[in-house]
Amino acid sequence: MALVAAVAASHAPNILLEPGEEWEEFMRLHYRMAPGAASSKPSLEAQQKLRREAEKAFGVLRSHLEAAKPDVLIVVANDQFVNFFFNNIPTFFITLADEVEGQFTRHRFHYRNHKELGRAILEAGLKKGIDFAFGERVELQHTQVVPLHFLLPEPKIPILPVYVNTWVDPLPTPERCYVVGKLIREVADGEKERIAILATGGLSHFPGSPRIGEIDAEFDHQLLEILREGKGRTLADYSLEQLQQAGDSEFLNWMVVLGAVGDAKAQATYYMPDQVATGWGFAHWTL
Amino acid sequence: MEALMSSYELNRFLFDLKMNPAALKGAVADLEGAMSPYGLGDEEKKALREGDPRRLRQLGAHGMLALYILRLHSEFQSNIYWQQK
Repeated sequence: MALVAAVAASHAPNILLEPGEEWEEFMRLHYRMAPGAASSKPSLEAQQKLRREAEKAFGVLRSHLEAAKPDVLIVVANDQFVNFFFNNIPTFFITLADEVEGQFTRHRFHYRNHKELGRAILEAGLKKGIDFAFGERVELQHTQVVPLHFLLPEPKIPILPVYVNTWVDPLPTPERCYVVGKLIREVADGEKERIAILATGGLSHFPGSPRIGEIDAEFDHQLLEILREGKGRTLADYSLEQLQQAGDSEFLNWMVVLGAVGDAKAQATYYMPDQVATGWGFAHWTL
Repeated sequence: MEALMSSYELNRFLFDLKMNPAALKGAVADLEGAMSPYGLGDEEKKALREGDPRRLRQLGAHGMLALYILRLHSEFQSNIYWQQK
């Protein structure tokens, strides 16, 4: 059939934590790394407002996804030292498992994995000079399950986790991620099934770095405007350093989706900085 | 490359605290014994004993692994953070 829907969403853990006790407990740890961020921590009311706005954005994305009636959801995300460590870091990785599962606090996730689509992308890449790493066992983590909790809470369709290294230097370039997305689109358009794609992560945040707690909201707004204008292709010319400087390394996951949607305009974008760590961003495209 | 290689063992120790329940249990019970099989330098061991994630990051630990030393800290042992990855 074709690629029928594309969405992108932040995966920040605090999106899925309950405002109040859970959020505060989690953040106590965060503040040990980023004492400065504690001074701007949101009140309970502000946490609840953030949660409501995120749920609203996820609701729009979910309606959009469901209306497209996909048979499979490709999930482009980064590993954060769950499946990969310094002994072996793949730049791009395709999951060839039968099933995938993971846990986030009391939430458990279990999906079939569409390994046939994974294999098709892998083989297409090998013919075109993109040599994905691949493997048959992965554990899902917050980078996938936070958005999936809102977008695909029941495992009605299989997913296909695709990993991009946005986490351990050296990272791939925005252009390379865009090219990977174009390849996925070519494969998707040659398949009989209806395929949707989700990119997760971002927007601006500095996890684990001395700048943890900063959010470059201005840069994030620029990115989202470019998406609404359908000029994602121009972001492939950005240097990796431009993204990193703004805390947008995980936007590399979004670059894959931009390669897949080409010049389509994002139909809507949503943005809410959480005040303490991350600019939560959301977008969806009609194809 | 030098810096990356020299902090490998430190990152490995922290990664094991994150991903290997037996390693975590061992470190909670006996940090000195748990550290001994790893090729850690004196400064790294000192920072692990002190449990300061920001100091570990300065020594070359990835910032998001450095955090896992707080699993040994009584204030944080049952923190909800560890119930997700």
